[in-house]
Amino acid sequence: MSDRQTVGDILAQRGVSRRAILKYAAWLASAMALPPSASKAIAQSLAAARRQSVVWLSFQECTGCTESLTRSFSPSLEEMIFNLISLDYHETLMAVSGHAAEEARLKAMEENKGKYVVVVDGSVPLKDDGVYSANAGKTNLQTLQETAKDALAIISVGTCAAYGGIPGARPNPTGAVSVGEIIKDKPVINIPGCPPIAEAIAGTVAYLVTFGKVPDLDHLGRPKAFFGDTIHDRCYRRPFYDKGLFAKSFDDEGARNGWCLYEVGCKGPVTYNACATLKWNGGVSFPIQSGHGCIGCSEPHFWDKGSFYQPLSTAMPGMGAGIAAGAAAGVALGAGAAWLARRRQVAYSQQTSKKEGA
Amino acid sequence: METDGQATAPGSALALILVREIGQALAAFAESGEPAAIDLRGLPMSDADREELLAWLGDGEIAATLAVAGRSEIRETRFTGVWWVRHFGTDDRIAAERIEIASVPDILIADMADVTAAAARFDDELAELSIPPSMEEAEHV
Repeated sequence: MSDRQTVGDILAQRGVSRRAILKYAAWLASAMALPPSASKAIAQSLAAARRQSVVWLSFQECTGCTESLTRSFSPSLEEMIFNLISLDYHETLMAVSGHAAEEARLKAMEENKGKYVVVVDGSVPLKDDGVYSANAGKTNLQTLQETAKDALAIISVGTCAAYGGIPGARPNPTGAVSVGEIIKDKPVINIPGCPPIAEAIAGTVAYLVTFGKVPDLDHLGRPKAFFGDTIHDRCYRRPFYDKGLFAKSFDDEGARNGWCLYEVGCKGPVTYNACATLKWNGGVSFPIQSGHGCIGCSEPHFWDKGSFYQPLSTAMPGMGAGIAAGAAAGVALGAGAAWLARRRQVAYSQQTSKKEGA
Repeated sequence: METDGQATAPGSALALILVREIGQALAAFAESGEPAAIDLRGLPMSDADREELLAWLGDGEIAATLAVAGRSEIRETRFTGVWWVRHFGTDDRIAAERIEIASVPDILIADMADVTAAAARFDDELAELSIPPSMEEAEHV
């Protein structure tokens, strides 16, 4: 396949019309909270773009992040993301192994110097010279530093790569750290979650391909489009919270009536993610809809913040008392919560629109 | 084409807010020709909100189904120029859902790159057709 071919050329060869790109652009605009009217321009940009070389590195991880991207996503749209990228190295998905696999990584890095994107899932062990996780004779630290050197950007997929995650939980026997603690001279985009939502991974990659730049990030390096609101902001149980109606246990009348799970430990008020809107398993449900509180898996050190079943109002290790008290006191926002959430999204879309047009 | 317009106002607050937003966008389109779109998927809409909005906007003259990267449904509402567009994945879940205010949603329009490719393919296939000799003679008459 020629490197000069555009995404539009490649799709045309496969008998796929530009309508497919327009449909994908509509999805991308929605997922990234871009103005809906921008989808035509996005489609034109995508059609003219070259395929993005992607090198995917797997370190101290469980492969749940790859499973999230390849298993839980709408199949037709999954195919579209694989039309936008050239996945040049991924240990789990690539057909070759051993020396041939490593040669593929080095070749992609050489041919796309300064332009390829590195996706990392898993944390990096530093203790005892990083011996706890190695591949092809190199520690994860060596592989990361070598691969990131000439990359355009790094995407840390999953809470392990973004914040150390489960391997980094106390007592952190391998000295696990996040990618961002090692790579300081490149843009590092964090897409946390255990695992992250597939649309957040695909949407961020598609944004990079379309606009050739990193999307707006929050103070923890997360794309604001997916991590701009708390789960609580968008939760369908929010009206019960506003009315002070809480389940007291998992089988009481409140639980059966679908009331707010705050008092049984839901971490939704302090967890920034899109689970309440994008949902899981093909958009079927998300943990709170299935009757369990959010465990805050997309927040740093979620594993070390005390019991998943302890209410936020009982201060937890690593969480400011102000946040917990604020969550406990936030009962009075009233039925305008959904309206406020929408206003915030509109304001953000307008802001993004201005930046795109600048 | 607007029909009787006697539908009951949506009971859901979110549906009512959206109806007003659509009305403003439609008035602007009528005035200036500037199309607009409202993304529904980013909103915390319940099934009831969606049903109420759908019922109030009603059905218009055109309904189209696309088979491209999964199914898509495009329906004009009872208000000319207001379209309900739904894109599904192959598992039939909604991947994108929006209200478009336009003469025709862009996705229904054939892209000129596709038209050019189709013309070339048409020529190729025509050239490969085996035309009976009697018809070839007729062409030269």
